[in-house]
Amino acid sequence: MGAHQPSSLGLYVHIPFCRVRCSYCDFNTYAGLEDLMPAYVDALTREMAWYGVHPWVQAAVVDTVYFGGGTPSLLPLPLWERLFDALHRHFRLAPEVEITVEANPETLTPDLLRGLRGLGVNRLSMGMQAVHPQDLRLLGRSHDFPTVIRAVALARRAGFDNLNLDLIFGLPGQPLVRWQEALAWALRLAPEHLSCYALTLEHGTPLQVWVRRGRVPPVDDDLAADMYLWALEALEQAGYRHYEISNWARGGHACRHNLKYWRYEPYLGLGAGAHGFWRIPGQGVRLANVLAPRVYIARLGRQRPPAGEVQELGSPAVVSRQYLTPDDMALELALMGLRLTREGLPDGRFREVVGRSLADFFADALPELRDLGLVDWDGRHLRLTRRGLLLANRVWVRLMEGR
Amino acid sequence: MQDHIRNFCIIAHIDHGKSTLADRLLQLTGTIPPDASVEQVLDDMDLERERGVTIKASAVRMEYTAKDGQTYILNLIDTPGHVDFGYEVSRALAACEGALLVVDASQGIEAQTIAHLYAALEADLEIIPVVNKIDLPSARTEEVAQEVADLLGVDPDEVLRISAKEGINVEQVLEAIVERVPPPSGDPDAPLRALIFDSHYDPYKGVIAYVRVVDGSIRHRDTLKLMAGGAEFDVVELGVFTPGMKPAQELRTGEVGYVATGLKSVHQCRVGDTLTHKHQPASEPLPGYRHPKPMVFASIYPVDPEDYEDLRDALGKLQLNDAALTFEPEHSQALGAGFRCGFLGMFHMEIVQERLEREYDLDILVTAPSVEYQVVLKDGTVKRVRTPAELPPRDRIAEIREPWVAVQIYTPLEYYGAVMDLVTKRRGVLKDQEHPAPDRVVLHFEMPLAELIVDFFDQLKSRTRGYASLDYQPIGYRPGDLVKLDVLVNKEPVDALAMIVARENAYRVGQKLVSKLKDLIPRQLFTVPIQAAADGKIIARANVKALRKDVLAKCYGGDVTRKKKLLERQKRGKKRLKMVGKVEIPQEAFWAVLRVGESDED
Ligand SMILES: Nc1nc2c(ncn2[C@@H]2O[C@H](COP(=O)(O)OP(=O)(O)OP(=O)(O)O)[C@@H](O)[C@H]2O)c(=O)[nH]1
Ligand code: SF4
Ligand SMILES: [Mg+2]
Repeated sequence: MGAHQPSSLGLYVHIPFCRVRCSYCDFNTYAGLEDLMPAYVDALTREMAWYGVHPWVQAAVVDTVYFGGGTPSLLPLPLWERLFDALHRHFRLAPEVEITVEANPETLTPDLLRGLRGLGVNRLSMGMQAVHPQDLRLLGRSHDFPTVIRAVALARRAGFDNLNLDLIFGLPGQPLVRWQEALAWALRLAPEHLSCYALTLEHGTPLQVWVRRGRVPPVDDDLAADMYLWALEALEQAGYRHYEISNWARGGHACRHNLKYWRYEPYLGLGAGAHGFWRIPGQGVRLANVLAPRVYIARLGRQRPPAGEVQELGSPAVVSRQYLTPDDMALELALMGLRLTREGLPDGRFREVVGRSLADFFADALPELRDLGLVDWDGRHLRLTRRGLLLANRVWVRLMEGR
Repeated sequence: MQDHIRNFCIIAHIDHGKSTLADRLLQLTGTIPPDASVEQVLDDMDLERERGVTIKASAVRMEYTAKDGQTYILNLIDTPGHVDFGYEVSRALAACEGALLVVDASQGIEAQTIAHLYAALEADLEIIPVVNKIDLPSARTEEVAQEVADLLGVDPDEVLRISAKEGINVEQVLEAIVERVPPPSGDPDAPLRALIFDSHYDPYKGVIAYVRVVDGSIRHRDTLKLMAGGAEFDVVELGVFTPGMKPAQELRTGEVGYVATGLKSVHQCRVGDTLTHKHQPASEPLPGYRHPKPMVFASIYPVDPEDYEDLRDALGKLQLNDAALTFEPEHSQALGAGFRCGFLGMFHMEIVQERLEREYDLDILVTAPSVEYQVVLKDGTVKRVRTPAELPPRDRIAEIREPWVAVQIYTPLEYYGAVMDLVTKRRGVLKDQEHPAPDRVVLHFEMPLAELIVDFFDQLKSRTRGYASLDYQPIGYRPGDLVKLDVLVNKEPVDALAMIVARENAYRVGQKLVSKLKDLIPRQLFTVPIQAAADGKIIARANVKALRKDVLAKCYGGDVTRKKKLLERQKRGKKRLKMVGKVEIPQEAFWAVLRVGESDED
């Protein structure tokens, strides 16, 4: 492992609780399990210990932490205090560490916000999603737009100066103007960061079922394309830099944690269903934790991390450990790296991970994709063109198909 | 000996109990164990299976000691079930003297009851009416027995009432076969004439012919000759089906059994041909032989051009056992190298397609089926055209002739209107109708075969809730006012999508075809115009709009595994598309021609 000893690590912590389930959501999250929160937080602190004892982890500093969900902001402050206590006990946090918490606007109180800020949380990511009551209702969200305005104001007052808003476009029955308005309202709240996601009808979600049964009109992909183009224009004008397919930031506030995913850098995954990824010589390793919170708690209740002896990196919550070959990594790197619209996929990075150059590895596909006007290739960076942004799946499928 | 042979078949509408009764008869006569079925017994013969031999249960010999104290040999001959195999059915019937007509006591007479009965009467068979399933609570035994008696013009007392499943009165069936079916009437001293009513290919013994000896007899090591096909061979082995193949020394007049010919393909030994001795041949073959000619043609292409050789091998192997299948190499501008194949009909074609996919694991693309046209040129020559692409330029054509068929449709009276409507839309002409039972009608039509192969069966079934069935026979060629409909995708004519249609329908079919194709061809990275042209004029057009958005909104660390699976599925889906020029066209598009076919529906 020595050769691939990273100097810094990301940490993803999954909080799988929600008050109600949104209609489009297929994340690993559960409504009605709030009683489990204390035991779950306990289990998380134990899992931190499993990783924290490892010399490989000890040798790195953690420079990003991301609490995602679910709805992390549902956790009461005392549980947060326990989590942070363990975090500091088991990891070396970098002085400039970025710590994000995902929040739903209706769960935010002045006390919680001040408390989180005091613990060191310095980035808040808020699920705003839409503005029009009809859109919010279709998505099954329990807040309204005034609640978002209030929550943003409270967050500012509590000292958060790095705020993200999540928005969704391309909803069934949503006309272009309603998206334009939602975007305009979001801009008036002046967040440092914006994520705009095209709605995906995930298999098995209520929304997908409604559409399939014709209770809700189908999603119009052409309209969604127009909405996306509008966002590109409007956000650019408002001073936001587009840095990833669905992400914009101003003033250098790109999300450092998410950048690790797209740059194929190492991170640990803690909590139910979380994934971790890092590289060892010649291979990539991806761990996946068990999905169900109860099982997760049970698995971490039994053993203690071994004192002294060094084991394979992981915890008892791990259900799968995947070893990725350089070829696997080449495709994943392309899948991730091409999402970064400005920096793209640097050939140097590709060589470092895969051991061959981009031009060599994708010898047939690259010229073809360039001729189709889907990618830019200057010999050093591979990037999606503006047209390629909206057709990225075609690019990836072509890259997967054979080189 | 000859007096103690009875050759018979069982005819029934689907599910009325043909297989169950057959099993029961074989059990009662001790041919198979009391709790087994013929299929099980054949399956259990591992040895045969290991050698890759396909024994069909198409003829089984039983021994039965009747009430009169004498022992009889009963040969049960199976008949194929599909309309495309009408000729094969007629040969199987020709090997019998009698038929059990089985009718379900709760369902009564059905379409195929009548269709099969007509065929049996035509073959001059003694009919034994049997009402089955009398054990059912819903059985209308007496009513149905009366219906059947009326249909046959016999006394209701002559109708047997049984339950094949419960074994009630099945003995009566055996007795009736002995009493009522006449013994075979051939001449034991005349030169050999044996009818081939089925066959299969065995890798060790060559073609196994299933035969009914009509005159004379066959012995081991005889040298035989096929009267129509001309091939000669020494008998490698002969025997009877019990139900497995059991070798014997001789097959005598009236007997049913098999002859191993050593021939290498069923094409040399066709159903309906007559076997005779080489040195002492019969003067006349048995009547009714026809060289089954393919009626429906379609092209088969490998999705991956590298599979071409495999496809040819597979077709060759299928042909060993399928005398009606024809194929020849063909090259399409759009689809590359493939084969133009001939089939007896649509069912036959589907069977072949399925076997290529399932048994040979080939990814294939099958174009819409077409018939064989005769094109009379201005210089008087006649050209045969099996694919629209072969049609000569318009100015050289004097006349186009297309094959016609006589069609019989059997249907409950209540669907009369629905059937008439369908048939007239398909250029059909009603010739005559009959009422074999008060609420049934048999409609006799003539119509172009091309109209029949395009979705006709499905339409008929759906319009009659599955109650109607049909039968058809070719009746020759007739001139028609026909034009070639070209389809252009991205401005390029796609030969595999062209079709020949009646001029009166060209516009409507063109419109429909184009709009179907527009929905079936997935959006590409650029706009794809689709046009239909007849006689060189564009008569319909539509655009497949360019794909604008195909991107994953989100992709985070954990997600990458799931998203990768999604993309992998998208990649696999792509493999099933055929690149034609710069456009990806799915198999369904080539079948779209089928679905628009005659236009009436939707
Ligand atoms: N109750 C009852 N059911 C029967 C009788 N004979 C057959 N069946 C049932 O009817 C169904 C069809 O019987 P089969 O013998 O398979 O009919 P078939 O005519 O061979 O049908 P196909 O091969 O599909 O044409 C089966 O479920 C049998 O168990 C009977 O005498 N009484
Ligand atoms: S709040 Fe987020 S995680 Fe929870 S159900 Fe809604 S979309 Fe899913
Ligand atoms: Mg059956």
